Amino acid sequence: MGPAALLPLAVAIPLLGSALLAVTGRLLSRVGCDIVATAAATAEVVCLALLWTRGGHLATAELGGWPARVGIVLAADPIGAGLALLVAVLVLAVVVYSWRYFDEPRGQHAGVFPALILLFEAGMAGFALTGDLFNAFVFFELMGAAAYALTGYRIEDPRPLQGALAFGVVTSFAAYCSLLGIGLLYARTGELNLARLGRGLAGHPTDLLTVVGFVLIATALLVKAAAVPFHFWLPDAHAVAPTPVCMLMSGAMVELGAYGIGRVYWTVFSGPGGIPHGAFRTTFVTLGVLTALVGAVMCWQQRHLKRLLAFSTVSHVGLFLIGVALLTPDGATGTALYVAAHGCVKAALFALSGVLLDRYGSVDEHGLHGRARALRPVGLLFAAGALALTGLPPFGTGLGKALSEDAAGHWQPWLPAMFVAASAVTGAAVLRAGLRIFWGLGPVPRGRPGEEETSGEGEEPEIRSPRRTLPPTMVLVPAVLLALALALGCLPAVAGALARGAAAFTDPASYRAAVITGRSASSGAHEPAAGWTTAGVLLGLLSAGLATALAATAVRYGSQPPRWHPAARAVRTLRRLHSGHLGDYLAWLALGVAVLCAMLAAQT
Amino acid sequence: MTARTRLIMFLAAAAVIAGFFAAACSRLPPFGTPDHPYAARAVAAALAHRTANTVASVNFDIRAFDTLGEESILFGTVLGATLLLRRARDERHRRAEAERVMPTTRLFGTLLLPVTLVVGVYIVAHGQLSPGGGFQGGVVLATALHLAYVAADYRALKRLRPLTFLDVADSLAAASFTLVGLAGLVAGGAFLENVLPLGTFNQITSGGTVPVLNAAVGIEVASGLIALLAHFLDQAVELTDPDQHETGGD
Repeated sequence: MGPAALLPLAVAIPLLGSALLAVTGRLLSRVGCDIVATAAATAEVVCLALLWTRGGHLATAELGGWPARVGIVLAADPIGAGLALLVAVLVLAVVVYSWRYFDEPRGQHAGVFPALILLFEAGMAGFALTGDLFNAFVFFELMGAAAYALTGYRIEDPRPLQGALAFGVVTSFAAYCSLLGIGLLYARTGELNLARLGRGLAGHPTDLLTVVGFVLIATALLVKAAAVPFHFWLPDAHAVAPTPVCMLMSGAMVELGAYGIGRVYWTVFSGPGGIPHGAFRTTFVTLGVLTALVGAVMCWQQRHLKRLLAFSTVSHVGLFLIGVALLTPDGATGTALYVAAHGCVKAALFALSGVLLDRYGSVDEHGLHGRARALRPVGLLFAAGALALTGLPPFGTGLGKALSEDAAGHWQPWLPAMFVAASAVTGAAVLRAGLRIFWGLGPVPRGRPGEEETSGEGEEPEIRSPRRTLPPTMVLVPAVLLALALALGCLPAVAGALARGAAAFTDPASYRAAVITGRSASSGAHEPAAGWTTAGVLLGLLSAGLATALAATAVRYGSQPPRWHPAARAVRTLRRLHSGHLGDYLAWLALGVAVLCAMLAAQT
Repeated sequence: MTARTRLIMFLAAAAVIAGFFAAACSRLPPFGTPDHPYAARAVAAALAHRTANTVASVNFDIRAFDTLGEESILFGTVLGATLLLRRARDERHRRAEAERVMPTTRLFGTLLLPVTLVVGVYIVAHGQLSPGGGFQGGVVLATALHLAYVAADYRALKRLRPLTFLDVADSLAAASFTLVGLAGLVAGGAFLENVLPLGTFNQITSGGTVPVLNAAVGIEVASGLIALLAHFLDQAVELTDPDQHETGGD
C-alpha cells in the first residue's frame, strides 16, 4: 500500500473502530470491547509504522482526487508521521493498560470509553498529518471534544467536571481566536492549504494583518501546548482526568501544540511576507524559557503526584518550544527525539501513579510516605522514569536533550543551562516523590497551617475491587514504555530518520514543491548529525546528578525554603496565581495574546 | 486575584487585542471586488462534478474530509454526553408524569410534527441542489420529534424516540461516511473520491456521492441530536438527587 492510501487510513481506522465500539459495545462483554479496541489500536500502529518507513521525505495524499488548489492534501514528513506514530503507540499502551484496570460503565454505555479514546486518536493523527490549515483546526476541535469528555469521566466527583469545564472553555476560546486568524489569512490569500498560503503571503509585505493572523492562529496551539501564560488548564485537567487519559494528554496531545507552531510557522510564515525569523525566534524562545521556569518551580511545589507530573510536562513543553523556535534542523531533530522519548517516559510515570491510585486510593506524596514499600518493582520503574526524565544517558530523553542543548548553545551560550536546570528540577521532584513513597526515606513531611495545597488524598480508586491482585499489564505497560524510551536513545537509526525528517521539516521550499505539484522532491538541505557526543553525555549525567542530589536533600531536610525567605514568598505568589478560577485563566489568556501581538508587531 | 484585578487585567488586554484586530481588519481586501480567488476555483470544480449547490460540493466533495472531521466531532459530542450524563450511583430515576396540555396546543403539535418531518427529509435530500443539506435537514428532523415534548409531554416524546435504535443509527451513519471514503480507495482512486455516476446537472440524483454523504450526515445529525437532547432532558426531567446538599455545594 502506498502512502496516498496510508495517510487517510490513519484517520479512517480509529474513526471506524470508534463507531464499531459504539454500536457493538452494548452487545459485547467487557473482554469483547477490549479486543475490538486493541485490534483497532494495533491496526493504527501498523498503518503508521508503514507510513513512517515508506513515506520518504514527504508523502502526500490528495483527498477526493482534488489538487491542493481546491481540495485538502494530507502531507507527512517523518516528523509528522513520527508524531502520529507516537500517538498510536501511546493509544495502544493506554488501551492495553485499561484492560483490567478501569471501571468502565456497563450496559447501554459499554464501549463508550474506548470509543472516545479512538476518536481522540483520530483527532491527533489527523492534526499531525494534515497539510491544510482549516483541516488542522477541525482535527484540533475533534481531539478537544473527545478530551473534554474523557477529562470529566468520573461524574460522581464535582472536581473532574470543573477541570473539564476549565479545559473546554479555555481551549474553545482559543479555538475561536484561531478561526479568526484563519479568516484573516484566507481573506488575504484565498487559500487554506499551508503550502499555498505561504506562497500567497509572499505577494504582500509583512504588515499588522500577518502579525495578528499569526498570533491568533498560534493562540490555540499555545493553549494546547500549555505555554505560560496559556497553561493554567493543564494541571487542573491532569489532576482530575483518569490515568489513561493523562497518559495521552501529557504524552502526545500537549506536544502536538508545539508541533503545530513549528509546522504552521515553517510552511506559512517563514518566507517573505511572513514573520521574520529573528522576531519569531526571540519571542518563542522567551516564551519557552518562561514556560520551562514556571513549570519547573511549580512542579517542585506539588505533592499531588498527577499535578506534579502535569507541571513537569509544562516545563518540558517549554524546552520543546525553545527547540522548535531555534529554527534550525538541529533544533528540530533534538526536539523531535526529545518529544518522542518524553512521551513514553511521561506516560509510563502516569501509568505508575495509576498503580498507586489503584492500590491506595491516593496520589499524595506525603500521605503515601513509605506505604508502597511492598511494591518494589513499581518503585524501581518509577525511579528509572524519574532519571529518564532528567535526561540520563542512554535514554532517548537524554539524547534529545543533548541535541537540543547543542542546537540552543549555538544561538545563545546560556540556553543549555536552562535545559539542565529544568530537566534536573522536574526529574528531582519525581525522584523525591518516588523515594518517599516507595522507600519511605526521610522524615514524614508535615503540612504547615495556613498553606493552600492540593493534597491528592481522598481520590477515588478508578476501579472498585480493592482486594484483587495487581493486574500484570499495569506494570508491563510502563516497563515497555520505558524500554521504548531507552531504545530511542540507543538505536541510531531512529535518530537518523528523525534528522532526515527535521531537514525536510525546516525546508519549506521542498514542502511547497511536493504539495503543490504532487511530486516528492528530495530535500536538498543538509542532514543534521544525531548521535551522542561527549558534551551531551556529560550534560545528561550532570542533570541526573543534580536531580539526585536535589531529591536526596529534599527528602532529608524537607523540600520547602523557610516561610520568611523572599524566594518562598515569590513562590507563594506564583502558586496563588494558579487559582482554579476560570475567569483568571481567560484573563491570562487575553493578556498572553495582547503581549504576543505587541512583541511581534514591535519586531516587524 | 480579586475580581477587580481580574477585570482590569482582562479589559486592558482586550483593548490591546481589539486595537490590533481593528488595525488588521483595515488591511483586508476591500468589499465588492470582482476578485474571488477560491470561489472561482470551487464553482468550476462543483460544475465539473455536476453539483448545482457549490456549498454542498465544497462540504461533501471538494473538502469532504473537513466534513468527516466535523461529523466525527458531533459523534464524539454525543458519546461524550452519553458518558458524562450517565446515571451516577447517587441519582434516582423518577418516571416523568403526564402533563395537562391545552387541546389546541396538542392539535397544533399533531399537525405540525409530520409536516416538519417531511420538510426535514426534503432539505436533506435536496442538499446538492439548493441551500440545505444533511446538517440543516438533520436539525429540522430532530426538532420535529421534540414538538411532541412541546405540544404534549415528556412521555409522548419518549414513546416517539427509540433511543437504542437512534444510538445505533448515529454510529452507523458516522461510520458510513468513512466507508464511502474508503470506497474511493478500493475503487483505485483517492480517499473520498467520487465512485458513483455523476448524473444529470440539477437533478436529484446528480453530484455522485454528495447526496449519499448528505443523507449519512442527515441521519447522524438527526439521531445524534435527539440522543444528545435525550441525555440532557433525562437529567433535567427524570433524574433526581436524593441528597442535594452533597453535590450542590463547593
